[in-house]
Amino acid sequence: MLRPPLVRPRAVVLAGVAAALADHLRWPVGVVRIAFVCLVFAGGMGALFYLWLWAFVPVEPEPASTAGSPITRRVPAAAILLGLAGVVDLALVVAISGSNDDVVNFCLVAAMLSGGAAVAWSLALDRGDPARTTRYTYVVRIGAVASLLIAGIAVLLSRPTALNAVLGLVAIVLGGAVLVTPRVVSLWADLMTERSARVRDEQRAEIAAHLHDSVLQTLALIQNRAGASSEVARIARAQERELRDWLFADDQPPAGDLATELRTVAAAIELDYAVRIEVVSAGAPIEPADPSLVGAAREAMLNAARHAGGEVSVYLETSAGAIDVFIRDRGPGLDLSALPDDRLGIRESIIGRMTRAGGTATVRPGIASGTEVHLHLEVARD
Amino acid sequence: MIRVLIVDDHSIFRSGLRADLDESLEVVGEAAGVDDAVELIAATIPEVVLLDVHLPGGAGGGGAEVIRRSGTLLDRVRFLALSVSDSAEDVVGVIRAGARGYITKGNSGAEVSAAVTAVAGGDAVFSPRLAGFVLDAFGAAAGERAETSEELDRLSAREQEVMRLIARGFSYKEVASELFISVKTVETHVSAVLRKLQLSSRHELTAWALERKLL
Repeated sequence: MLRPPLVRPRAVVLAGVAAALADHLRWPVGVVRIAFVCLVFAGGMGALFYLWLWAFVPVEPEPASTAGSPITRRVPAAAILLGLAGVVDLALVVAISGSNDDVVNFCLVAAMLSGGAAVAWSLALDRGDPARTTRYTYVVRIGAVASLLIAGIAVLLSRPTALNAVLGLVAIVLGGAVLVTPRVVSLWADLMTERSARVRDEQRAEIAAHLHDSVLQTLALIQNRAGASSEVARIARAQERELRDWLFADDQPPAGDLATELRTVAAAIELDYAVRIEVVSAGAPIEPADPSLVGAAREAMLNAARHAGGEVSVYLETSAGAIDVFIRDRGPGLDLSALPDDRLGIRESIIGRMTRAGGTATVRPGIASGTEVHLHLEVARD
Repeated sequence: MIRVLIVDDHSIFRSGLRADLDESLEVVGEAAGVDDAVELIAATIPEVVLLDVHLPGGAGGGGAEVIRRSGTLLDRVRFLALSVSDSAEDVVGVIRAGARGYITKGNSGAEVSAAVTAVAGGDAVFSPRLAGFVLDAFGAAAGERAETSEELDRLSAREQEVMRLIARGFSYKEVASELFISVKTVETHVSAVLRKLQLSSRHELTAWALERKLL
């Protein structure tokens, strides 16, 4: 049987090392804990082994459903360390009244270590744990500062021998540092976030400029070398359109506007037929786009793409009282009266649709070649 | 032979265009940046400069800067803007700086050659899109119309008709037969519109350009 992988769980007592090991070895977790404690007495081996596992055993990956949840620890280690600092402080005061300098120094260093460790733990490991409130963090910090200052000042006032004085000063400085650390840490984090956001923006602008100068040019070149009606040109044009949309996403007119709708329709038709449709618009934007007008224009563009191909010009003009759309191709041209009745395309989906919407549609041959469809719709605008 | 200078920072595009241009055009040089272009124009005095709108170098003004810095040569050298961009600010910026026309790079070699020939002959070259911009910027779509021929800020009825037909994809010849006028007259109207575009102090046009830091 395969053993479960050696990973530390996300809800733990202290660091999850014993639980991880117990799970992996299929031992009861109590046995593992006792083994660690026993090994501590074998020259501190248990502690070293614990720290080593803590450093190298990975944390269990979080399940997708609870993404972003922090690791929770049942033991309030920071508070315990703070308590230890308090006990050491007491011991220090007792030692000061004695005569052994070494004991004083030992107590001073122990106070610094436990106080510093309490703050470090609460800042680094308890971050985001819902069981450790802001107030708890605050209390730990203030407590640590107080313990460090008490230790430092007490030593400086009573036994200013050289080493004691230095250690006492270090304790006081450390206390000050603990006081400002969280502020510095959060400022630093803000600075980093801001900087990375700025770098991202700059990068995007740079990429946009570069793509504009190089890729768009190449796509244009491909199109005019390959000829307007070839497959390659069609793909290049579709790519160019997509790239443009991405590059200039911010200054596009709002969707739903008539000109935008016509451009979207034209882009879709260009994908399916060997045709190049240029949509030009003038006048104020119309919102929302009239569906029958868009439908009729679409049908006219489709007709041009199917029967003429090549270049198709679409011109949209919106004035105070009317909307005009012209769709013009350069194909062989068509004679409306000669069309068989089953050609529903023009008769029904263009002329019929416009008539029902209260407008008109005219189909006429172009000057030299091709066909031009003119859609006209009166609108009441204020 | 019409002497042409190609200004574009994209070498593949320059060589592609050079190969595609009509045989009646002689390419006298190529430049890749603003400073190169200004020097080369002064040295070669080409009849037509095919000018990309986005160019590196100089003060960062691109094609419009090239035209401005070649200002003393404007009566001998004509500029035709050629760009992948079809945004309003690029088009209007380079035309107001003094370009005689604006076409996009999707156009074929034959179309570019025809445009170069037209510009060399003193005509203005309007793409459908540029005509659309003009109708928009001069309020033609909103029904504004110039009453006198001296007026710079609005288009006359005839100019509007011509611009509308160009926007609909008509060639100058087709515009002429549609309106029962000569091609020469169409060209005169287009040149008049170009002049208005360059000289107009029309509020919208200026505000529009200022907003985009063109002037």
